[in-house]
Amino acid sequence: MTKDLKRKIASIAADLALMVFCLLYLFPIYLIVTNSFKSRAEMYDNMVALPKVLSFQYYASALEKVNFAVSFRNSLMLTVFSILAIVILTSMTAWMITRQKNKLSTAIYNLLIATMLIPFQTLMMPLMQEMSIIQRNTGIRMLDTIPGLIYMYIGFGAGMGVFLYSGFVNSIPVSLEEAARIDGCNAWSTYWKIVFPNMKPTTVTVVILDVIWIWNDYLLPSLTLKSKVNRTVPLATAQFFGQYTISWNEAMAALVVTIIPVLIFYLAGQKYIVKGVAAGAVKG
Amino acid sequence: MKKLAKLGTAMLSVVTVAAMLAGCSKEAPAADDNAAANTQDAAEVAAADKFVLFQSKTEIMGELNKLAEAYKEEKGVEIEVWETTGDSYFTDLKTNLSNGTGPALFSLAPGSESREMADYLEDIGSLEVAGKISDKLLDTVDGKVVGIPYTVEGFGVVYNADLYDPSKVTDTDAFISFLQDQKAAGVNGFGLSQEDYFLIAHILNTPFAVQADPDQYLADVLAGNARFADNDAFKDFARVMEAIRDNCTNPMDIAYDGNCGDFATGKSAAVHQGNWCYSMFADYDVAFDMAIAPLPIQGNDKVSVSVPTSWYVNVDADPAQKKAAMDFLDWLYGSETGVDYLMNKFGFIPVVDGMKSEQLDPLSQSVADTVAAGKTMPWVMSNWPAGLITNELAPITAQFFTSDMTGDELLDQLNDAFVNAAK
Amino acid sequence: MKASKLWYAVFTLPLMLIFLSVVVIPFLIGIGYTFVSWDGMAKHAAEFVGIRNYIDVFSDDRFLQAEIRTVIFTIFSVVAINLLGLTFAIIVTTNLRTRNIARTMLLMPYLIGGLILGYIWKSIFSEFFISINWGNWLTDAHKAMAAMIIVTCWQMAGYVMIIYITGLMAIPDDVIEAAGVDGAGFLQTLFKIRFPLLMPSFTISLFLTLSNCFKVYDVNLSLTGSGPGNQSEMFSMNIVSEIFSLNNFGYGQAKAIIFFAIVACITLVQVTITRKREVEL
Repeated sequence: MTKDLKRKIASIAADLALMVFCLLYLFPIYLIVTNSFKSRAEMYDNMVALPKVLSFQYYASALEKVNFAVSFRNSLMLTVFSILAIVILTSMTAWMITRQKNKLSTAIYNLLIATMLIPFQTLMMPLMQEMSIIQRNTGIRMLDTIPGLIYMYIGFGAGMGVFLYSGFVNSIPVSLEEAARIDGCNAWSTYWKIVFPNMKPTTVTVVILDVIWIWNDYLLPSLTLKSKVNRTVPLATAQFFGQYTISWNEAMAALVVTIIPVLIFYLAGQKYIVKGVAAGAVKG
Repeated sequence: MKKLAKLGTAMLSVVTVAAMLAGCSKEAPAADDNAAANTQDAAEVAAADKFVLFQSKTEIMGELNKLAEAYKEEKGVEIEVWETTGDSYFTDLKTNLSNGTGPALFSLAPGSESREMADYLEDIGSLEVAGKISDKLLDTVDGKVVGIPYTVEGFGVVYNADLYDPSKVTDTDAFISFLQDQKAAGVNGFGLSQEDYFLIAHILNTPFAVQADPDQYLADVLAGNARFADNDAFKDFARVMEAIRDNCTNPMDIAYDGNCGDFATGKSAAVHQGNWCYSMFADYDVAFDMAIAPLPIQGNDKVSVSVPTSWYVNVDADPAQKKAAMDFLDWLYGSETGVDYLMNKFGFIPVVDGMKSEQLDPLSQSVADTVAAGKTMPWVMSNWPAGLITNELAPITAQFFTSDMTGDELLDQLNDAFVNAAK
Repeated sequence: MKASKLWYAVFTLPLMLIFLSVVVIPFLIGIGYTFVSWDGMAKHAAEFVGIRNYIDVFSDDRFLQAEIRTVIFTIFSVVAINLLGLTFAIIVTTNLRTRNIARTMLLMPYLIGGLILGYIWKSIFSEFFISINWGNWLTDAHKAMAAMIIVTCWQMAGYVMIIYITGLMAIPDDVIEAAGVDGAGFLQTLFKIRFPLLMPSFTISLFLTLSNCFKVYDVNLSLTGSGPGNQSEMFSMNIVSEIFSLNNFGYGQAKAIIFFAIVACITLVQVTITRKREVEL
């Protein structure tokens, strides 16, 4: 056997092993997809088997109940604008506090990451109180509006954004920025022309992680978004979860539909991680 | 450096001021401008053309949304229905009520839940519908009628008529030997399941409810003046629990879905459930008759029937919204469309005097028959201390079913949980 | 000098103001509540009890056990998640043909997230395991904890994989090539070149997994429901039931503050240590 052939076989074997592993790894997801086609009786009979008939009736009834068009649009707006704001604001802050090392910067950094450890459930009651006070006293609608919720997501996303970006700023050579400054750029244009484009891989990471978080988040939107017109996808699917029982097939059907956009987004996004780096944007 | 320190101080002061601001107005939110308006007689206020409804029964959510459309068409009033999962409803409701952003119309379980929220409940005794419902079913707190019942529900031994004959199983011994016989025949005699209410709350209700004066007995237990171990009904209950552990499928191994599936497919002769579980059988070909029988502890011949959920009006809501919510309640129980939804779409057992439903499923029919025959006993569990079932009783019972704890030990531990909760 | 202060404000102030109003102020209000005995309803009087809530915490067995359990859970999970995530990241950045599809598949569990996966896993650990004669894991305290760790790892491994991939991608090709030219094998390159350069990714992943594991709630609720008999109850579950089911708002907040203080100390130490190592390298 030639060395080439050997290598080829080894690589095919490795590919095969990886795929087998991945398929096993996704066993619970297999259950979600298959059971979204089964009736309660069929699921009880055998949860693991393939569905007897491939009927999309539960998809149809789930989509009808959740008013998918409206909730999808809301989720999309919420996710896109929250993340846009998070990326811009956290990257700016992270760059500044990493470059300007002083006590305030350290304090900001520590405060931001320490608060990531607070369980949301202990904040939610005071947060709702504060927001309703702001709403009452200023007339700015913080509750039951998408912009109000975006504002809150910026606050809750601040910690992770700054944390990820500041870890990365260190690996961008200061010399680039100094060169720009000598060319007459101020901090603002240096940042947008030199620094931000160089942080692309981190931006992609932040975006991916935040998309998944915000798109799927239930608790925070459930407290603030109440009107039907404002409902996001996870809120709209809540009705399938009773106190004692779950409408399994509809819940799973809705879930499958919900994650498809995120999946597509991720597929598009992950190429970008590779590209950003391959283009030589970052050199340590 | 100094400038930075100044900036830091400035930011700190922003926080402090904001925190103080929040602190100052903290005690105010519910009691401010609304309060004055609320003292107005609600009848004088014109009803709003829109109000907010929030309720916990997710099973009727789809139909409720259609009802809201029908109401809009008929009366021109829009109902904003908030949504939730069954688990987060109460938390969500409390957070909103406490902040003064609560819904106008909402649901609670009458009993310790409604007593806890008493300050937030409007007196709705003057509603037309309140006059048409028996006092026993209305929720009354501090002498005021505050809750209009959704329906009544009953639970007990939901049995397969081919396998269980309630006329033969009429006391504890007969029930226990039934379980043994079924085990010998390879059938699960009696199914509980792992959810808190289905595991312990419902079944523990029976020994309470068979007491001569259940509420007094509960008070005595909470005060430490009565012990389960000295009471015959509880002793029988402990024997039944041991018999379930010895002869039946371990409840900890089975969830509500599986429990209902076992029953529907004839693998279980009976389950401890209520009429609500009939909807779980919809997808199955059920080839036998079923009904609800009493759990025959101490010769008990009654089924536990009560109001699981009632409607309440938020006392702090905008008066016009309150009026709209109350109009809706009268319409729901008084109009043709409303009653059609209650009886046929929600499948509720009627609560309004003289109202009959032709559309009841077999289990609901069984409950309605029990009510007609006067063979009902109360849900004492609604008055148990808040959080007791989930935080104490269920964990103890889980322990019982996964260890060799004796029935007497189970009684003692459950009893202690009641006493501690009352402290 | 003045301009730089101005720029400092322009770059940090917008985020910090939002952050303060959304996170810090509610947190401070929450601290205020720890000194009262209150059920969380605005109309019900809050009784000032001083530091009694804090004292009570230390005689609350159920809470102390939940805390210890959470620490153990976190240690096991953080190690396992990072090992798994890093392994995944290394595999999917090789030149295997299936790397891209594998990458997506491995992230899927995190993509879905939420409660429903917990419920699915619950059926796997109970009904499915019973059907293949492995017994119900969720009725045994130790196995229930193991199940919690397994499900958490399964969900989070894809998440840290993303971070490690970013880190691995950021290592310039020429460094690896140079090592190859010098005759370094795959493992040698891995340990001598890639891991040291991955230090920032380690810092980030460790911290993110640490904070996520300490706060674990969804999996706890849907998978074990803190059972059997509260023996898999974690810290977040404990305070949520204290606040919302037992109606002890002030006391629940006090528990949260104490635990927060402990966790914040641990993680700040962790971050400082790993950050230092980055600088040294």
